[in-house]
Amino acid sequence: MLVTFQVALAENAEIRIIKQQIKSGGFLPSGDLYRNPDEKLVDIGKVIFESKHLSLNGNISCQTCHLDRFGSTDGIPIAAAVGGEGDGPKRLLSGAKLLPRNALAFWGRGAKGFDVFFWDGRVDFSAPKKISQFGSNPPSSDSLVTADHLPVVEIREMLQEDEFVQKNKNESVDKSKEVYKAIVQNLVKKEPEASRNLAKALGKDVSKLEYTDFARTLAAFIRSEFRLKPSKLENVILGKESFTQSELKGALVFYGKGACVTCHAGPHFSDFKFYTVPFPQLGFGRNGFGVDLGRYNVTFNTKDLYKFRTPPLYNVEKTGPYGHSGSVRTMEEAVTAHYDPLSLLAVDKMKQFDKFELAKRLSYSDSTTRVNYLSSEEVNHVVSFLKTLSF
Amino acid sequence: MNKFLISLNIIGSIACIGLATKFIALPFIGTKIYKEDYKTLMFLCDNVMQNHLIAKNKVNVDKSNESIKQLQAAEVGLLSCNDYDTMRKKLISWGLTENDLSQIGIEALEEKASDVRTFVRTHEIKY
Repeated sequence: MLVTFQVALAENAEIRIIKQQIKSGGFLPSGDLYRNPDEKLVDIGKVIFESKHLSLNGNISCQTCHLDRFGSTDGIPIAAAVGGEGDGPKRLLSGAKLLPRNALAFWGRGAKGFDVFFWDGRVDFSAPKKISQFGSNPPSSDSLVTADHLPVVEIREMLQEDEFVQKNKNESVDKSKEVYKAIVQNLVKKEPEASRNLAKALGKDVSKLEYTDFARTLAAFIRSEFRLKPSKLENVILGKESFTQSELKGALVFYGKGACVTCHAGPHFSDFKFYTVPFPQLGFGRNGFGVDLGRYNVTFNTKDLYKFRTPPLYNVEKTGPYGHSGSVRTMEEAVTAHYDPLSLLAVDKMKQFDKFELAKRLSYSDSTTRVNYLSSEEVNHVVSFLKTLSF
Repeated sequence: MNKFLISLNIIGSIACIGLATKFIALPFIGTKIYKEDYKTLMFLCDNVMQNHLIAKNKVNVDKSNESIKQLQAAEVGLLSCNDYDTMRKKLISWGLTENDLSQIGIEALEEKASDVRTFVRTHEIKY
């Protein structure tokens, strides 16, 4: 009887400590994070999000790679974009043009505190000096609206390389204006009702619509559709539910021995900083030949070699495969990649150059992201805890 | 007259064979023989060029002796691209066009795309 009482007391202490840690780790209730300055554009945004006419010539919509049933991503390692049919694995195997990186989930995008976009943070409005491919003059002061400008002008992603694109494809903002103009003309012609509604909502003539107006509708829809909702974790913090034994043990590893909270902190479980975690590389990589130099491609600072943004974790259970190139299939493998990456690779079967690249990635990997050794049981507990972030 | 026609026929045939050899057979054989070497050299050149870019950018942010030495070494390393250039010229002399070479280049760059499809098939990702 006394022993049972002591065990219960210890468990209560653990729960109290872990709740404190979760709060001091930056947790905020989902309702506090929602912001949507263009709420009135949500319905129009839905039409544009689902429209394949948003792609000038690629017959692809945002929805093609951001599907509900794959947790707002595409369920495959790297995005299969223009030139394919169907979605998910079917699209990948149908011969679609592949992109070098894993399609990102949309949960919480553009919510409060979420201002760093893409694996390499090429749109970063988290500091007063805003970073984007538009230099010092971004099309919007809203980070998500600015981010929505990129996929539509990305060759292979939503653009096929035809004669018009070839003429305007060098990376200059002026040239991209021509492409944006053509996209708007295409949308006005093929989505006349949504375009009329948009013009009306913004109080301007249809002929005066700009791509930024359509990007605002996309941002409004994404913010609304993929808003954070109460998760089990939120319910536990509010005292409405309790952790299971495994979830509690997982939380203790996450906030304790594993020190996952060093990077997966804040209201979105990401510090939105950049680290090298030596995940296996799949596909040809952004730099070709199976190489992806990560954030370095944005900053050209050697300190950023092989670094990628800390992934936010809400609904992580639904968004596999994981890693910047989708090279690990399960959450257990994703956790393992942080402390024992070699166990995920058949090194003896790798080509010589792949081994060389792996060694390079390992040498650049951050000590910050180095997790203590975890037993497979502990990894399973961490995964149980991560599942409490689902809704 | 007959002799003239026969000569014309022979000349025509030789010309046809010559053209077919130059524009079809030689590029085909050249591709078969050198394609893999070309891809390897392209990859090696790309690698030293990447190293050079990284070393150059490193000097911009860190002007230490070590960074400068690395940049100098990376500059010398660029000599590896000579082999790639030589192979490129050789393939052009075999009759391959710039377009053919670009095609092989893209194939080399994206060679590892196949591992993604293998990954998906192996794990039978189905929903």
